Amino acid sequence: MADGRTVRGAGEGDVGPVGPASAVRPFLVTAGRVAGAAGEASSGRTMPVETQLVATTGGLDALHRLSFEQHDIVAACRVPQSIAEIAARLRLHLNVVRVLAEDLRTAGQLSVHVPDAGVTHDASVLRRVIDGLRAIPDSRRVLRDTD
Amino acid sequence: MTPTEPLARTSAGQAAVRPPLPVKLVIAGGFGVGKTTAVGSISEIEPLTTEAAITEVAAGVDDLSHTPAKTTTTVAMDFGCITIDPTLKLYLFGTPGQERFGFMWDDIVEGAIGGLVIVDTRRLDDCYAAVDYFEHKQIPFAVAVNAFDGRTAHTLDEVRWALDVSEGVPLLVFDARERGSVRDALLVVLEQALARSGG
Repeated sequence: MADGRTVRGAGEGDVGPVGPASAVRPFLVTAGRVAGAAGEASSGRTMPVETQLVATTGGLDALHRLSFEQHDIVAACRVPQSIAEIAARLRLHLNVVRVLAEDLRTAGQLSVHVPDAGVTHDASVLRRVIDGLRAIPDSRRVLRDTD
Repeated sequence: MTPTEPLARTSAGQAAVRPPLPVKLVIAGGFGVGKTTAVGSISEIEPLTTEAAITEVAAGVDDLSHTPAKTTTTVAMDFGCITIDPTLKLYLFGTPGQERFGFMWDDIVEGAIGGLVIVDTRRLDDCYAAVDYFEHKQIPFAVAVNAFDGRTAHTLDEVRWALDVSEGVPLLVFDARERGSVRDALLVVLEQALARSGG
């Protein structure tokens, strides 16, 4: 990671549980609020981990007024990011990102795109994924160093 | 051609950029079985790790209060992605396969188009729970034996018998280190999903 901190568990060869996470900080960030087990959007629908977050023009305009995590999320979402990517890149718990994303959405600073549940059965989408995967060549990338 | 506006809901405020439609596959399996390697072999980004908090109930025998001891630990979830085209992005989530992590699966698996259960034939029990989970949830999946050094400890027939997976579930041998091999394993899962969709 760019911040030079060790990403624990990045190699799954390590044992699974990766040590205690901060017990307090995540909930200070959300003022004690927690998302539902699977994270709930305001509509009552779940906010899956692949839900896309995109900064709004209003959010980018207000960036200098935002602080800490809110600022970082909106700034990172200049390029669309999933909830999981934001959690990983900003080292926040998934449910913390869900709560903050909902706040930022309510404030009009973040656009939250919850994928349609029906997409998993959409043959045309599946065919596009299949065609896209088939186009990937065999060769390994040179990027990797060790396994 | 599919409409490029499959996203259900755009919330208040104008998005500066239109995001792709995200779809995901889940890669399950025991620790060290090759989930992260498989994700890294095909992902366009180095696999990212996020930590999902889990609560474990320990069956302590020395607990005088007779209340189960709960400990909260975090489990690493590794993931990567593949941009299919500017409007469609495939995410690959690797999640621990053991039963004790079962309750975090709903959070990750909800909405997945399919699953790949990676098996190390020397440690078959690590994947029973994941197989049961996908079967129970009726999520299309395949079982992939990771051939360490090109060898497996059991034949595919033996693995199928041991895991008690139905004939309809594809079982294959692959090499998590090879991009083409991972791609082909994912394609098997997607073909399952496509067949299930009626397409």
